[in-house]
Amino acid sequence: MSGHSSPMVNRRDFLRGATRSLTVLGLGGLAGMAASRATAQTTRWQIDPHKCVRCGNCATMCVLKESAVKCVHAFAMCGYCQLCTGYFEPEPNALTTAAENQLCPTSAIKRTYVEDPYYEYTIDESLCIGCAKCVEGCSRFGNGSLFLQIRHDRCVNCNECAIARNCPTEAISRVPIHHPYLLKTEGH
Amino acid sequence: MNVAKTTPVIGASAVHRVALTSAAVAGAFVLLVVSVLLNQFITATTNDPWKSPQLLEAKERLRAAPKDEAVKARIRDLDLRFREDYRRRLRLAASGGWLLVAGTAVLVLSLQAASEAKRQLPLPRPDPDAAKRAVRTAAQSRRAVAVAGALAVVAMVSTGLGIRSLLGGKLAAPGASAAIASGAAAAVAPAVPLPPPAEFARNWPRFRGPDGGGLAPPDTVAPLTWDAKSGAGVIWKSPVPAAGFNSPIVWNDRVFLSGATKEKREVLCFDARDGRLLWTCAVPADPRGPGNAKEPIDDTGYAASTMATDGRNAFVIFGNGTLAAVTFDGKVAWTKHLGMPNNAYGHATSLAVWQDRVIVQYDQGTPEAPNSKIVAFDGLTGRVAWETARKIPCSWATPIVFEAAGKAQIVTLGEPHVIAYDASNGAELWRVELMHGEIAPSPVFAGGRVLVVNPTQFLAALKPDGSGDVTASHVAWKVEGVIPDVVSPVSDGEFAFVSDSGGVLTCFEAATGKQVWEKDLQAQVQASPVIVGKRLYVCTTAGTMFVIEVAREFRQLARNELGEKFFASPALAGGRMFLRGDKHLFCLGVERVDPNALQEPRPPQRVEGNALHPKP
Amino acid sequence: MSVSLAPAKASRLPLRTSGRNWLLRLSFLLSPAAILAASRFPPPDFEGGHKLPETTTPAARGLVLEYLDVALLLGCLALATWLAYRPRSRRGLAWLSLFSLGYFGFYRKGCICAIGSIQNVALGFADRSYAIPLTVLLFFLAPLVVALFFGRTFCAAVCPQGAIQDLVLVKPLKVPAWLEHGLGVIPFLFLGTGAIFAATGSAFLICRFDPFVPIFRLSGSLSLLTLGAAFLLVGMFVGRPYCRFLCPYGAMLRVASLLAKWRVRVTPTLCTQCRLCEHECPFGAMRTPTPSGRAPEAPAVERKRLAGLVVLLPFLIAGGALAGWRLAPAAAQLHPTVELAEFHLANQKSPTVYPPMTPEALKLERAAEDPAALLAAAQKVREKMTLASWLVGAWAGLVIGLKLIALSMRVTRTDFEPDRGACVACARCFLSCPAERQRRGLPVDPLPAAMPATASKS
Repeated sequence: MSGHSSPMVNRRDFLRGATRSLTVLGLGGLAGMAASRATAQTTRWQIDPHKCVRCGNCATMCVLKESAVKCVHAFAMCGYCQLCTGYFEPEPNALTTAAENQLCPTSAIKRTYVEDPYYEYTIDESLCIGCAKCVEGCSRFGNGSLFLQIRHDRCVNCNECAIARNCPTEAISRVPIHHPYLLKTEGH
Repeated sequence: MNVAKTTPVIGASAVHRVALTSAAVAGAFVLLVVSVLLNQFITATTNDPWKSPQLLEAKERLRAAPKDEAVKARIRDLDLRFREDYRRRLRLAASGGWLLVAGTAVLVLSLQAASEAKRQLPLPRPDPDAAKRAVRTAAQSRRAVAVAGALAVVAMVSTGLGIRSLLGGKLAAPGASAAIASGAAAAVAPAVPLPPPAEFARNWPRFRGPDGGGLAPPDTVAPLTWDAKSGAGVIWKSPVPAAGFNSPIVWNDRVFLSGATKEKREVLCFDARDGRLLWTCAVPADPRGPGNAKEPIDDTGYAASTMATDGRNAFVIFGNGTLAAVTFDGKVAWTKHLGMPNNAYGHATSLAVWQDRVIVQYDQGTPEAPNSKIVAFDGLTGRVAWETARKIPCSWATPIVFEAAGKAQIVTLGEPHVIAYDASNGAELWRVELMHGEIAPSPVFAGGRVLVVNPTQFLAALKPDGSGDVTASHVAWKVEGVIPDVVSPVSDGEFAFVSDSGGVLTCFEAATGKQVWEKDLQAQVQASPVIVGKRLYVCTTAGTMFVIEVAREFRQLARNELGEKFFASPALAGGRMFLRGDKHLFCLGVERVDPNALQEPRPPQRVEGNALHPKP
Repeated sequence: MSVSLAPAKASRLPLRTSGRNWLLRLSFLLSPAAILAASRFPPPDFEGGHKLPETTTPAARGLVLEYLDVALLLGCLALATWLAYRPRSRRGLAWLSLFSLGYFGFYRKGCICAIGSIQNVALGFADRSYAIPLTVLLFFLAPLVVALFFGRTFCAAVCPQGAIQDLVLVKPLKVPAWLEHGLGVIPFLFLGTGAIFAATGSAFLICRFDPFVPIFRLSGSLSLLTLGAAFLLVGMFVGRPYCRFLCPYGAMLRVASLLAKWRVRVTPTLCTQCRLCEHECPFGAMRTPTPSGRAPEAPAVERKRLAGLVVLLPFLIAGGALAGWRLAPAAAQLHPTVELAEFHLANQKSPTVYPPMTPEALKLERAAEDPAALLAAAQKVREKMTLASWLVGAWAGLVIGLKLIALSMRVTRTDFEPDRGACVACARCFLSCPAERQRRGLPVDPLPAAMPATASKS
């Protein structure tokens, strides 16, 4: 393309062409190597709720302004307790939904009466900040049916998860995209 | 974006002016948004609603005055305000971000338009110095690259030197790094060696003595008679300012016991020589838990479990599942919060120790959904040495540790299995399906057999040398009779004694299970009896201590009054007997021994003499 | 519990996690705390027949959409190449930049990107168990392959980081050539550093310190947002500061485009040496023809210098390697395992009591579970990092040496032409060429436009 035909330039073009071919071959090799590792799965970050120690980093370390980590509820595990240790402050003043009794700083847990003596607790994810206060209460004194999960409608799937980097128990790892949640079903 | 350079615009300066004006407006707007966002950012970090001292203080006040409606109203008000503020900040951050993007776009476009309008098209002039300049530029560039390289090297080296590493300078083999680890650990914890087994055996380091069977070591001295009223035989008597049914433990010149109420949990340490309360150590509540929220029944209390010690730290567990190690100076070395147990009364099983480990049998749950485990914690650090899950519902019996069949075994009772674990790693050794009901009496190991009481039903002896389920082969004998529901058995290897709550004392042959005699003491008994030498000490709830000869015939050697209610099992060490009454800790003994003698192992002759010829 | 330490890297960086493997690990790693949490309160049987709600699981962004990303990347690359070569349209490239900024930037929030993919590839090289996701691999390969044939058309209008800087450019100042060359080695050093930290499983530094991703997300730490704003502010007056002086992928593309088969040229036909394009390039990529006539420097001096530099090259590499070796103990501390080990040791040296349940306390607790295994694992990482630091130091020496050699080579140029490596094919210079204007049917004579400028001076 250069339009010049001096032998110097020709030699340069030849060298360039040869190196280029080698580079393309090398990149092809890289692609082949990658392809040979057949299980190259697309993955997503997720919290292993059994490793989580509820340190509170999830609420603050996420690159998003409001963390992609939210509390979720495994209803089948829930005892539907009247005195829910995930909902109420330790030694609550009264078992009512008044602010002074609630553990959740954002009032993200809704407590609804089902039948005597059972109450249902649902998470309003738009309010939840992933602080894990309720998870701690529920895991320590209750059935552990409340736990943290990375919500994939919010997570931007960073190459390196900032929360994972700061997780004290390395509870966050990549999971296959087809099963992007690690839900609790029983105690373990 | 470059506006395409078409023909020069006639009103270039007008465009320039307009563009500049719009750029100024956009710039001001961007600055405004940035300052608002920055302000939000800074105040948000300094004014974190979840940690607001106002809110925390109000909640604290409410705890102090639970009925104060004004405080409640204030909390609600603050909570709502903080939540609204938080949402507002979030909305502002989101909309502010987009406003910033839009403002920046307008700013950039205006500036580009202004710059384009003022654009001076090139007017190339001859450049005779081009060649020389090219050489100069190349030289300068080489220098710049060299400087960049030098800076990179400086950066690498200075970072390498500046950031200190404690990991050791040399690349060490894994074994060597383990040595570093242990060396470093030793540097922190003052190197207290684990006391030798002999010292362990000489003391009363856990519930019912060194072996957990209520059998005092053969060379132990114990008083035969005393009178709490006159003070005869009472070396000292100290008030116990703490509530709890746990028994005292003794290590050299220290006596430990624990107490707890709904609000607090504490460990008390008395001087064994003079009964002085040396210190009281408060064990912090589980920071995340409801403290002692579970209301126990009066018979259990918040501190039913007896402490244990390995000679370096004293270990304590409370009804709410808070386990702690307390140094001999009264400082909390570590705590573990095992969680409020899922049982009716709170945790009540006492601690066991083996070598440098404290062993917690943490049984909870129902037969349908058991959730139990046995855990060995490192006594110095509290780290979990091993942990084994148990498919056993809640139980109350304390495990015992002994050497048999070449292994250190931990024997636990539960419904329906008696299970033995390897003390070194928590692996199950053998199990026997035998038990039923609320398992409260603890097992004992005597005469090579494990004696277990199934509440109110039978006493059985198990051979501790099998593996796997040995129900069919290893139950040596099983005998029915007046069998206790709470009180643990005691045996010296020849005879085994059980006393039910109603005070019916029965003596069996340890080898065969044959009943030897039965005697109704006609008193309530809650404390587990102990055997010292040839004497059996049975203490009633009313505070009467029967001293009975360990023999084929029933013979009462003495009957002493304590003068107050009594639930705890006696502790014996250094020639003295320590009894925790309802209100006082008693130290009983035959003489005022030299305090220094407490530290020394007693010469056997003297023990013999004392045991055979007790002073009245 | 030493199990939790061995796969420290595994859980930190994307690893091949087959479902069964994961379950196996899980069963090993049950913490005491987790065991506690079981049904203490058995779930009730509702007499009223209350139906349990489902636990919602919003789906992850589908695979199809990920392949759409790749398709869009390939489409944008093709379009950018076509726009730069056929219509030679700056306006077209500007619109495409805007699209890329919107899609790959603000919509995809800067994740997935070619710049970051370097690290996945580096990790893939170092760790045989790590499989690079196909999409990431394609994001890494496609721009490189295109650059090998057509130059940096990826930078021109596909890369959102490039696009945002290109679009905010207001009035480019000329960076002196020496400064340009001096700062120009930074991307290569950053490339090496980013690669070793990724390869050792320590950190993805290139992602962590990307100044524009927080802007795309409109959220991030204050320091990073400030950095991004600073880059944009500088970018108004210095063309593409990140691309030229920091971007590690740009460094790779620069080398690739040196080998390019074709490249964009200022003039579509013949250069008349009118010099109108001389100062058009905002990115310092325009190269002037070599002056005719006798060289001001004697060829002997030049040859001697070149020979000297070639001899010096191995020493530079060795010196760099030595400096890199000094860096290793500090560099290793970016690895989570080493960091934990150092934290543990520091705490043992001067114990600090952290309130229970704080991340620090939990970390120390984890370290105390099996300090020997932790320290052994940390030593292993340190060994790897030592090798990697040697390599990166040597790499730095090589870069400096080759750059010096390149600056000492005599190049003959007859035309005004963009530098093969530095040109990002933004098409800004085309319109200054009279031949191009003629081809487009635009007014050819640009001189009248210069008149008001000279007039305004007076």
